[in-house]
Amino acid sequence: MTDPAFLVIAAATVIGAILAIEARDLVYGAAALGITFLGVAGLFILLDATYVAAFQIAVYIGAVVVLILFTVMLVGPVKGEAPIEHRRTSLMTAILVSLMLGIGGSLVSSNAFPGVDACGASCDLQLLSQTLLLGSGSNGGYAIQLELLSFVLVAAVIGALTLAKTERKA
Amino acid sequence: MVDLPPDPISMTIQIMTSPLFLKIAIFPGLASIGIIAALLTWLDRKITARVQLRIGPQYVSPLGGILQSFADLIKLAFKELIIPEKADRFFFLLAPIFGMVLGAGLIGLIPFSPETLISNLEVGLPVFLAFVTLSPTLVLLAGWSANSKYPFIGGLRSLFQQTGYEIPLWLSSIGVVMMAGSFNLSKIVQAQSTGYVLFGVHWWFIVPQILGAIIFLVTSVAEQERIPFDLPEAEPEIIMGWQAEYPGFLFLAAQGAGFIKLYAFSALFTTIYLGGYLGPGPLPPLFWSIFKTTVMVVVVILLRGAFGRVRLDQLLRYGWTLLLGLAIANIAITYFLIEGIPAI
Repeated sequence: MTDPAFLVIAAATVIGAILAIEARDLVYGAAALGITFLGVAGLFILLDATYVAAFQIAVYIGAVVVLILFTVMLVGPVKGEAPIEHRRTSLMTAILVSLMLGIGGSLVSSNAFPGVDACGASCDLQLLSQTLLLGSGSNGGYAIQLELLSFVLVAAVIGALTLAKTERKA
Repeated sequence: MVDLPPDPISMTIQIMTSPLFLKIAIFPGLASIGIIAALLTWLDRKITARVQLRIGPQYVSPLGGILQSFADLIKLAFKELIIPEKADRFFFLLAPIFGMVLGAGLIGLIPFSPETLISNLEVGLPVFLAFVTLSPTLVLLAGWSANSKYPFIGGLRSLFQQTGYEIPLWLSSIGVVMMAGSFNLSKIVQAQSTGYVLFGVHWWFIVPQILGAIIFLVTSVAEQERIPFDLPEAEPEIIMGWQAEYPGFLFLAAQGAGFIKLYAFSALFTTIYLGGYLGPGPLPPLFWSIFKTTVMVVVVILLRGAFGRVRLDQLLRYGWTLLLGLAIANIAITYFLIEGIPAI
């Protein structure tokens, strides 16, 4: 039986993520991203990791969303511009992203969460990092998955550089 | 035997008289927050007036105009709600109301006495500060959504200001966590009854953490957007900044959120530095926590009378150099206070 609270929070997270990409107005997109992060914080609370949830809110909403909002409001037109349609690019992106997700998912699911429901009531950062990097017992931890996650940051940096470059040409 | 479903009326009564419901509804919950916010509005006006050799509100009620803010509340609540035509209605309505809800949520984390607390989170202090970081985002959205010059400037100022004070605010509270060995606000209060010993006496954390307490006070005043750090509002410069376009009830919500934050931060300062509900004598713990919170509120209000507004560049420079440096130094000092100075 799935926890109804989990269903609500997970739905809010996913809908927020979809809205963040699809919103016509960039400010609404950034606010939807904030809702996604709040949802992730809620999932952490459901896993009894309130400490991680507090920092999820402080860092991701208090800093990342704020930075995005700031940039949108200072750089772009105050009401966001119409999205640019690049069918071929979006098709390529879709294929690449699903490939990445497939690889990541298969890596995670082969040894996902063996007999541990998150990290219990005593969850703290130390335990979390231990589980992530060193692993507990037989499985090799989640070092590879964590490394893969860091590609997100690389992608963000490359994306930002590309955007900045095209803007200067135009 | 058939189990009858419980009678809805008796169930409602049972819920309404349960201690948790009473706490959320009356004290320290919603009803008391509303009344205290209104009283703080009066106190703010009255004390500032006395500092400036004025009288302040006096006609409404014989007790020095103490009912003035309630009269204003009723007046504002019944005013017509005029939303600017080009405003973004969704965020314009959402931001002040959500801000007020957020402020009220902060009170739920404060232990006013061992029994009088709504939520006893194991990580209450970071959760409090994490909720607080959301409010500049709301101010920015409010300023942007009004689609007007001064509110937008106010919103951007709020964000600039946050980059200045946010990190010293978090770092200064770490000293308390190190001494108490817990993020739990109740445990931090209890740790102050058995904690730091100097000359054979147990001291509240204000004594070993005096540097951290000063940094925390300064940065929390910046967080509350009160003078000398009221840049996002700055009435003489940008005519109330992000609140400029707000009509009647929404202006009430925006102002109320500010006073609820004043109350919440004073209560938090009392909890982590002034021993919370601890106190000498036969008086109940609740008296001590309310008394100390009131003292802190008056101190913060007096700052308004004593200082002028800083400029944005001054705030950022002091935040990133002086306050950040002192906050890190405070952590080092706290380490030596706990572990003792190593013999070289």
